[in-house]
Amino acid sequence: MDTSFIERFLIVLTLYNLLVTAAISLYGIVARPSITKKIISLTILGDSLNVLAILIGFRVFSVPPVLLKLDANPDELLNLAYSAVDPLPQALVLTAIVIGLAVNLFLIFLALQVYRLYGTLDSRKIKELRG
Amino acid sequence: MDVTLILLALFSTVGLVFTYLAVVEKDLVKAVIFSAIQSTAYVAVLYLLRAPDIVLVYLPVAVGLYPAAILFLIGKTEKVEEK
Amino acid sequence: MRKYIVLLSIVLTTSVLAYITTYLEAIGLVGLDTRYLAKLFLTLAYNPLARELTVLSPEAVTSIVWDFRGIDTFYETVVFYMAIIAALAIYRGVGYPSIRSEKGLSIIVKVVTKLLIPINIAIAVSVAAHGHLTPGGGFQAGAALAVISVLLAVVFSASSFARVGVSLSKAIALRTVGLLAIAAVVFVPVVFNALTGVQAYLMQNYVKVDSEFAFPTHIQSQLISGTLIWFNLAEFLAVSFGFFVVFMLLSLREDVVREQLGEEHGH
Repeated sequence: MDTSFIERFLIVLTLYNLLVTAAISLYGIVARPSITKKIISLTILGDSLNVLAILIGFRVFSVPPVLLKLDANPDELLNLAYSAVDPLPQALVLTAIVIGLAVNLFLIFLALQVYRLYGTLDSRKIKELRG
Repeated sequence: MDVTLILLALFSTVGLVFTYLAVVEKDLVKAVIFSAIQSTAYVAVLYLLRAPDIVLVYLPVAVGLYPAAILFLIGKTEKVEEK
Repeated sequence: MRKYIVLLSIVLTTSVLAYITTYLEAIGLVGLDTRYLAKLFLTLAYNPLARELTVLSPEAVTSIVWDFRGIDTFYETVVFYMAIIAALAIYRGVGYPSIRSEKGLSIIVKVVTKLLIPINIAIAVSVAAHGHLTPGGGFQAGAALAVISVLLAVVFSASSFARVGVSLSKAIALRTVGLLAIAAVVFVPVVFNALTGVQAYLMQNYVKVDSEFAFPTHIQSQLISGTLIWFNLAEFLAVSFGFFVVFMLLSLREDVVREQLGEEHGH
């Protein structure tokens, strides 16, 4: 096996690691009874999908998408364009992480309210109770 | 051969293992700690993916704020997931 | 034992799938190219030669967040704002300062935390103010400052917020000021157009093909990249104090909350 094949294998392995992480956390959301566990799984699902989006913009032997000097000539600009990773997924994920945190905090408040009203966070027991 | 790619595959595997441990763990406090370790592995993955912006936002959010908020929730409700 | 068999099979599955996909790509069955857009953003983020297209910020990510896709970010900030309003709605009627003295952690932890908090504030402000030059910006700085609210709640107990001068209504007001400041910067070109008649567009940052309107790009030869620094500072306020509100409410003792929410919340 040549080196480029191993390199591509490692990248694709990372890709599948993230996909399977997302799958396991989906299992956690759907199959685990505790609402707290569902919220933990939801945060992991969001994290893995965000990293997946950034992995799509990644390139081997690249630099971060930041210009290091302000008096760059056109050649250096083109050099950055050819060597840097894709900035668009990073910009989208940046806002997604902060908003994901705000939404998950709202879910935590809802879970607290559920505990106040029903006295349990087990979704099977909540189903049996009548609100 | 770029060492980045080996570390990338390694840290994403660490994230995968700790995700599984976090999802199957009965003790919710332990599950939060496993989830925080998974987040730390992802911080390394994001750094290796040349995303310094995301590292700066992801580090406080996923290693600091998420575990703190969920520990507050666990402290006020149930500590163990019943089977 | 069963746990480890499952773990091993999961790790093996990803490896086998990765091998198959790499093989398919090597023989030319899978492949994607998304570089065109990336090259466009990277060359235009800081490019004084392309005067009508550039953002004049060497940081490509911040340029996309607040200029190329600025309206997206504005609405995402609104989503953030609404999520925290929804959380506040659950706690409606709960007053904050009703807590008497609570102890917190030991004196050593408290002293170390007291030393860390000013450093944390300095880092957060620096990350926000340099967001258009180096990796960073309003979202990152807001998340960094929000860590202080957790430190205060855990190390010094919930009553410490009042002692450092952060009340619930003050935090809510400050995050509203953040969102309004973003809206104000968005509408400056429109007001300029109404007053002078010069062509200018909503959320415009730098010169466009048919519009000479531009925010000041430098303060005393320091690059501030037009609107980007103002958006970053305003977003910093909105995000950090949004999280302050939530963690102040989360750190309230449960018996205090139930007392205030009323009888029907007991079980």
